[in-house]
Amino acid sequence: MPKSLTIDPVEVRQRACIEAPTIPVNAYAQDPEAEALRYSRGELLTIYHDMLLIREFETALDRIKKEGAYRGIAYEHRGPAHLSIGQEAAAVGQCLHLEPQDFILGSHRSHGEILAKGLAAIRKLDDDSLQEIMEAYTGGAALRVVETIEEAESIKRLAQNYLIYGTYAEIFARETGFNRGMGGSMHTFFPPFGIMPNNAIVGGSADIAVGMALYKRVNRRPGIVIANIGDSSVASGPVWEAMNFAAMDQYHTLWDADVGGAPPILFNFVNNFYGMGGQPQGETLGFGMLARVGLGINADAMHSERVDGYDPLAVADATLRKKTILLEGRGPALLDVITYRYSGHSPSDASSYRERDEVEMWREHDSIRGFGDYLRVNGYADADALAAIETTIIEQISKIVAAAADLNRSPRLDVAQDVIGEMMFSNQPADKLDEREPDVLQTMAESRLSVTSGKHRFGLDDEGNPRPKLKTLTFAEAIFEAMLHRFYHDPSMIAYGEENRDWGGAFGAYRGLTEAIPYHRLFNTPISEAAIVGSAVGYALAGGRVVAELMYCDFMGRAGDEIFNQMAKWQAMSANVLTMPLALRVSVGMKYGAQHSQDWSSLVAHIPGLKVYFPATPYDAKGMLNLALRGSDPVVFFESQRLYTQTETLFSGGVPVDYYEVEEGEPYRHRAGSDLTIVSIGAALYRALEAAAQLEARYQLSAEVIDARFLNPLNYAPIIDSVKKTGLVLLCSDAAERGSFLHTMASNITQLAFDHLDGPVAVLGARNWITPPAELEDSFFPGVEWIIDMIHERLLPLPGHQPQSKQGKLEIMTRNQAGA
Amino acid sequence: MQLHSQSPRVAQAIVLPKLGNSVESAIILRWHVAVGAAVRTGEALCEVETDKAVLEVESSASGVLLARFADEGEEVPVLGTIAVVGRAGESHAEFAPAASPPSAAPAPAPLAEEAAKAQPVSAGQDGRIAISPRARRLARTNDIDYGSIDGSGPDGRIIERDIQALLRRRPKLSPVAKKMLDSGDYQLDRSAAAGARVTKADLLPAAEDQRDAVNAVPLTGVRRTIARRMLESLQTTAQLTLHRSADAVTLRRLRAKFKHSDEALGLRRVTINDLILFAVARTLPAFPALNARFENDTIYQQRAAQLGMAVDTERGLLVPVIRDADALSLRQLSAEARRLSIACRDGEIKPDEMTGGSFTVTNLGGLGIDSFTPILNPPQVAILGAGAISLKPVEGESGVDFQPQIALSLTVNHQVVDGAPAARFLAQLALNLRDVDMLLAAETG
Repeated sequence: MPKSLTIDPVEVRQRACIEAPTIPVNAYAQDPEAEALRYSRGELLTIYHDMLLIREFETALDRIKKEGAYRGIAYEHRGPAHLSIGQEAAAVGQCLHLEPQDFILGSHRSHGEILAKGLAAIRKLDDDSLQEIMEAYTGGAALRVVETIEEAESIKRLAQNYLIYGTYAEIFARETGFNRGMGGSMHTFFPPFGIMPNNAIVGGSADIAVGMALYKRVNRRPGIVIANIGDSSVASGPVWEAMNFAAMDQYHTLWDADVGGAPPILFNFVNNFYGMGGQPQGETLGFGMLARVGLGINADAMHSERVDGYDPLAVADATLRKKTILLEGRGPALLDVITYRYSGHSPSDASSYRERDEVEMWREHDSIRGFGDYLRVNGYADADALAAIETTIIEQISKIVAAAADLNRSPRLDVAQDVIGEMMFSNQPADKLDEREPDVLQTMAESRLSVTSGKHRFGLDDEGNPRPKLKTLTFAEAIFEAMLHRFYHDPSMIAYGEENRDWGGAFGAYRGLTEAIPYHRLFNTPISEAAIVGSAVGYALAGGRVVAELMYCDFMGRAGDEIFNQMAKWQAMSANVLTMPLALRVSVGMKYGAQHSQDWSSLVAHIPGLKVYFPATPYDAKGMLNLALRGSDPVVFFESQRLYTQTETLFSGGVPVDYYEVEEGEPYRHRAGSDLTIVSIGAALYRALEAAAQLEARYQLSAEVIDARFLNPLNYAPIIDSVKKTGLVLLCSDAAERGSFLHTMASNITQLAFDHLDGPVAVLGARNWITPPAELEDSFFPGVEWIIDMIHERLLPLPGHQPQSKQGKLEIMTRNQAGA
Repeated sequence: MQLHSQSPRVAQAIVLPKLGNSVESAIILRWHVAVGAAVRTGEALCEVETDKAVLEVESSASGVLLARFADEGEEVPVLGTIAVVGRAGESHAEFAPAASPPSAAPAPAPLAEEAAKAQPVSAGQDGRIAISPRARRLARTNDIDYGSIDGSGPDGRIIERDIQALLRRRPKLSPVAKKMLDSGDYQLDRSAAAGARVTKADLLPAAEDQRDAVNAVPLTGVRRTIARRMLESLQTTAQLTLHRSADAVTLRRLRAKFKHSDEALGLRRVTINDLILFAVARTLPAFPALNARFENDTIYQQRAAQLGMAVDTERGLLVPVIRDADALSLRQLSAEARRLSIACRDGEIKPDEMTGGSFTVTNLGGLGIDSFTPILNPPQVAILGAGAISLKPVEGESGVDFQPQIALSLTVNHQVVDGAPAARFLAQLALNLRDVDMLLAAETG
């Protein structure tokens, strides 16, 4: 779409064939002499130590899960335990060359990666930094317990104990765990060591990792990001989308060279040959070798290669080579690290899908034993020295398990208090998340703000007649002004989605931003809704502000996991260690039939952890987007396509040019009345107001009209006050009626104002059909007459009223019986 | 292509069941279920009143109430269709009763929903009055009885404006005026303008009659039956009433003893009326001329005493029958009398429990009546009225004593019972009442 990229028919029609790089398989050749030059004895012994520590860590969990005790320490662990026994070399090899600022993200089977990365970081951080980190993290709660475990001989030893304890305590759901028990085995993480969220959704880390890499690139932060995901996840859509998102040409063709190229992301497939019980290689997929997949992504084949994950030095070598590529901006990279887990997928796994002999064959190749032999044969350590390492580890793990299992030393969260509720949102507004000068292409005065600020800010003239739309600020322009403000105040803010640049968003809300904001802060994405939202989640978790856009609400289905499981959950799953300053703008369509015209605000309102805004006027659009763009929480921001050209006709002061915010959760009463109340969500506000006008003219009824504006959070007080006054209330929105958020609202109103109700709360939504073509939409969306008809049928018979639609109680019965 | 198969028809007619051997029709008092509402087999559909009692009609099918073919207050013949239950949206017109009898059900409206709208009813399911919480709150705050209001909301629901309308008609009282009115010693001056504020000056002493106040009460149900039958009684029989009194010393003594007797004896609740019933039941078999029914120029004398007893209820006088009263012990008779009175007062008396009487006892003694002329309950030929017990002078050994005596009034149909046999019965009854303890003793012996 950029005008600078020409699609030349002569060129694209030329005969040619695609040349592809070859993909190395297990290219690393062990060479003790070279390795002796490359690694010190200490480093090599460290590799052995770390692998053994991981194995003992997992073995202890295995015992506890299966036998209820580890070395005499009895404990019943209720939660999951997906163990990585057998996979230690892949984790430790990877971390050998990683710095604390390098991020790893993992899967449900990432205890080993957490420990390997943590141990590596501890070795690289100085004592003061370590002490500071441990003191600062959750107020030093875990450190206080760790200090009781033993008199540590050094800060490094203390930090090791801290790492092991924090992980166990998290797995055991203790308040002293890394995430206060809210993450648990499958999610625990520790950002100060570069251990970022581990994801229990297969492949869930891929697009989040891309977002974190994007954050590093855009904000010039050091380090790379590694997504440790399973071999089976390569077949999931979001992983494929993430790889494509990470490989966009524009990083090289359009972005400023000084940004540094592509996001530094390594897709590290921990290939243990099983996706639960299915075998991607040979059964459930057709790639032959996973590394082949890189060929499908870009001309570099993602620098893909297969690596022997049973040789820690081979993994270390490959990871370092990829890291170099990534830091040069030439990513993304892909590693297919072959490994094997001896334990089952989980404790309930009977390994019915593999022969015992196969496990034994791999045990013959065991990486820890093999590396021990390497150390002995090459004179780094004798058998006694290796045994001494093991003894020390067992003693260390035993002490720490005892501390973590002990409910007195390691209590659980006091859930009698509403502590989990308090974690759902961080509520830490901030003008900017970085101190740099924002990268922009124009001054604010040069930008399109000079045009919009000069327009009429109120849509009606002194006589109450509408002003020309082109000369008056519209809803879309109100969105633009809020975006522009934050772009110029928060250097970390970026925005992207389909057609965001050049086109200015499919509905023109971003017109003028292309000229003002450089590519790396505003860009077009592939049509990859999962990666759009998932990468935004990663960007926000890494510490940046991001506005992602879904062109149509209906496309939320394509980003279901990212919205429902990632965007909504990570603040609380991190116990508020991380924030989620992510606004997801979602446009609610019309006129485009069944797959482009749905209001799904109820779906997201149902998911705990999301804030849901739905402005209906330009004043609210700007004030509420301003609010979202200064917040620290994930906001799904709905905009009705009916309203993009709407001028402000309700707030008589018009839309201020200056910055302002709408108070969060507060409904707004647009019309005062005494006989009944109409509460609307979204664009239905205008039909509610028209209905109120007609009720007054035709039936001398005085209707109060309230725009909810927010679905969550929502202050019911103004609505209840109104209902107490009028006794009758109708709720109205464009969402399909069944399961609509309006029913939640109706239920709450009934609870809160029961004795004041003069009739049941009436709910008017769209029909429970597909949205028909534009020509038939009036049969689907609630119109003015429907509102009046429902008032007549359900709340207050209107003298002489002839209903034009069926809104009686019988309709509830028959429609539900029919399921439509 | 396969078409959607049509759902099988499920609609069923609900008929007015036979509510007793002699019941031919009933009046719909109140619908419990609105058209369009769900109803289950066995759930009360409506309340009907026969000339004998108020009964619930239960639904014989489950589904949605599609139509109702009778309004409240309308008389429906037994086995006539009163409603249709089926699946929402099903047609039901074919169930409508034929319009041949002039006073039969109205033509059903084309749409069930419209029918419901045309006939607002405030009663919802379970017989509860459909009133919004807000309206109920307003009514309670202002001491308004909303039971008889026709609601103006959907499906006849009483809504706030209905109560407000009542309140507007009700004068607004100053605090002092309200207190004075509440005392019962004052009443409103009719000349005080409606809706205007009423102060102390607008009140008149209660002694002054509200001369023009008229409360028009249409006759329904039991009241209508009583009106018809009492007039018929006087117009078709020759009534003669005899008065005498009887020694009530023993009656009173026994009653006092029973009251404080050992609970295990089960006699504590035996009343003077029970003792009278007992004495009558024991006296009657010897007077078959009075224990009889006169129908079609034939006297049907009965051996057993089928003893009717008059019960005063809110809906009017009801006369349940104690079967074979002469064969019951005092305790049994007392228990049965109590059971029947409660059933009458609660409206749960069955029609068959009010037919087949051979003689009736009515008692106004508790209300201080000295004597009265009971009206016959045809085809019975005699009815005994018991009056109050009062002290009367009697000649004793040492001069005039004052003795408690009970007033007895016996009305007979002189067409078939002459004065003398009636007097002889009354004399024997007086003896039996005086010596009711002997009667009881004979029984246990």
